[in-house]
Amino acid sequence: MPRLYVHPLPVRIWHWINALGFVLLILTGLQIRYADALGLMSFADAVRTHNWVGGALILNYFVWLVFYLFTDKIRVYHPELNPAKHFRGSLRQLGYYGYGIFKGQPNPHHIGVYRKFNPLQSMTYQIVMILLVPIQFYTGVLLWDLSRFKGTVELFGGVRVVDSVHVVLFIFFIAFIFVHPYLASLGHPASAHFKAMVTGYEEVEEEPGPTRR
Amino acid sequence: MTELAPRPRLALGQARAGRAVRSFDPRMLPVKATTVPRRVLAAAAAAVLCLAATQSGAAAPAPTPSAEDRKCLACHGQEGMTKSFGKGDSVPLHVKGREFAASVHGPLGCAACHADVDLKDHPGAGKPFDTARAFSIAQVEACGQCHEDKAKLFAGSVHAGVLRTGNLAAPVCTDCHGVHAIARQAAAPAANDVSCRKCHDAIFDAYAKSPHGQAFGKPGPLKAPICADCHRAHDVSPAATGTGLRDACLGCHAGAVEAHAKWLPNTKLHLEVVSCPACHAPTSRKSVDLRLYDPVAKRSVTAKEGQPPLDAQALSDLMRGVNRDGTPGKMTLVGRLEVRSGAEAHQLTGKGEAIKDCVVCHRKGADPFQNVTISIVGADGRPVRFAAQQDVLHGAGSVDALPGFYAIGGTRIGVLDLLLALALLAGISAPIAHLVLRRLLRRKQAAAPAAKRE
Repeated sequence: MPRLYVHPLPVRIWHWINALGFVLLILTGLQIRYADALGLMSFADAVRTHNWVGGALILNYFVWLVFYLFTDKIRVYHPELNPAKHFRGSLRQLGYYGYGIFKGQPNPHHIGVYRKFNPLQSMTYQIVMILLVPIQFYTGVLLWDLSRFKGTVELFGGVRVVDSVHVVLFIFFIAFIFVHPYLASLGHPASAHFKAMVTGYEEVEEEPGPTRR
Repeated sequence: MTELAPRPRLALGQARAGRAVRSFDPRMLPVKATTVPRRVLAAAAAAVLCLAATQSGAAAPAPTPSAEDRKCLACHGQEGMTKSFGKGDSVPLHVKGREFAASVHGPLGCAACHADVDLKDHPGAGKPFDTARAFSIAQVEACGQCHEDKAKLFAGSVHAGVLRTGNLAAPVCTDCHGVHAIARQAAAPAANDVSCRKCHDAIFDAYAKSPHGQAFGKPGPLKAPICADCHRAHDVSPAATGTGLRDACLGCHAGAVEAHAKWLPNTKLHLEVVSCPACHAPTSRKSVDLRLYDPVAKRSVTAKEGQPPLDAQALSDLMRGVNRDGTPGKMTLVGRLEVRSGAEAHQLTGKGEAIKDCVVCHRKGADPFQNVTISIVGADGRPVRFAAQQDVLHGAGSVDALPGFYAIGGTRIGVLDLLLALALLAGISAPIAHLVLRRLLRRKQAAAPAAKRE
């Protein structure tokens, strides 16, 4: 079966650090917010860990950003600069996950070196990586030292506003952390995409067989 | 009407005694004060005091009243002399001549303070007073003629504020410094005789048991504080307003900020919004006070300007009410975590016993968030508090009405908890449901061709 190198090393390093960091941030975030109900660690340790991991993930974010900004791999997010087509592709992919997959229909997306994401994935990841994650990092930094960033916090309407934004995104990421691995398990076999994110290579079925995403 | 009891005999052909006049009459000064400006008089008084201080050697003879003062003492030196205001209310008019002569004001003489007494119609004339307290308070106006700086400080104090509201129980100069036997720095007495104790007894008892009270007066490299060291002597500000007391703590405990920063996240913020005793008086009951703050004037809103609602549940209405169209700056509620009473604020303990467990506050249902008040500064300078329901801290509306106060965990918004539960439910159940449905339908699809073949 042909193999395509679709996950370059910097992306894989960023991805797994990010995955581990997100899990830690979610666990410590839950501990911080629900200290009365959880006993994973002390509140102080949870805050300290949350701050350090958050800082590490901000640095790690730049691995992703710099890689895509300074290589032609940025094309994986927009193989064709055609928003209408991209949107239609997203709907088609949504239809596949919501209906076609149950009927045994083939995946409408065919993986390629510059087409590693299906349109729905591409759109979702762009919203996550260009909008949601930076907002989460930014609000996290503001909350990390409220006195230092007092002016900015007040500009956004106060600590409760900043914290509420941070918590709403936190809630979104909690749902994401469950859905993302599930969608990754839709390959053949279920471990295929996980393995690819380690080795960098996706195995591609011969035409015209259904693809895995 | 007031009357003198007992009325003294007239002496030395002087005018009759007993008159109390509020206005300053320079004719009564022992010098020709009509031609001497008040500032010169004050300077002269200071010079006399300095001279007296430099001459106060151990061998110096005890001062005796001057000839002028002896004329006053002819009547006022009689023991039991009082001024009666009826219903048993009276004020002593007896002055111990030698004590006064030895006092810090002795060299100035009686007339320096009692310049309002006109000997021609003394006693008997003068403004009448309803109570002995009102009479005593009127007398201390004389203090400000020389001690202008202290009078100015006092005028801005909470005690003066209370006085202005008509509460004559508030202390004035003589309540702390005494009346005639005023000694140098007489307002710094021994720990068990501090004048503040007259009114703030429960607070003083708590102080006396605290490390500060225990160490007061004992020899050592550091001087333990007493009331005036933290609350100031004349410009006493209400304990629950401003940051004066926090600054007083940090004034002595200079390394406290750095020591807290070693373990306490957001140290500066904690020191800003959590009063020191909230942690350092660990047994104290705590509460949250939301102060209405005017960002334009950069101070707490006073009762005259604020329009507090009687119904504290209507927090949003309150904020909309004070931020009507045309208001130059948006007024906000500045939250602070405090202890519930002055006595509890003084139940300080050693550093090792202070609260260091974050979860005391950072958890749902924590004690401080059970008692919430909204406050404005009253006309007397003290906070006027209105009870508020706990949901002002937890409701979704708090994002708009209370954007500046938030304690992680402790004041979390309930709606977001619900949203998190839904996200968890959806995040876990959606993949499981999708997986199960996929397997079931695949099996059905696999079975259908087989059935067709059969």
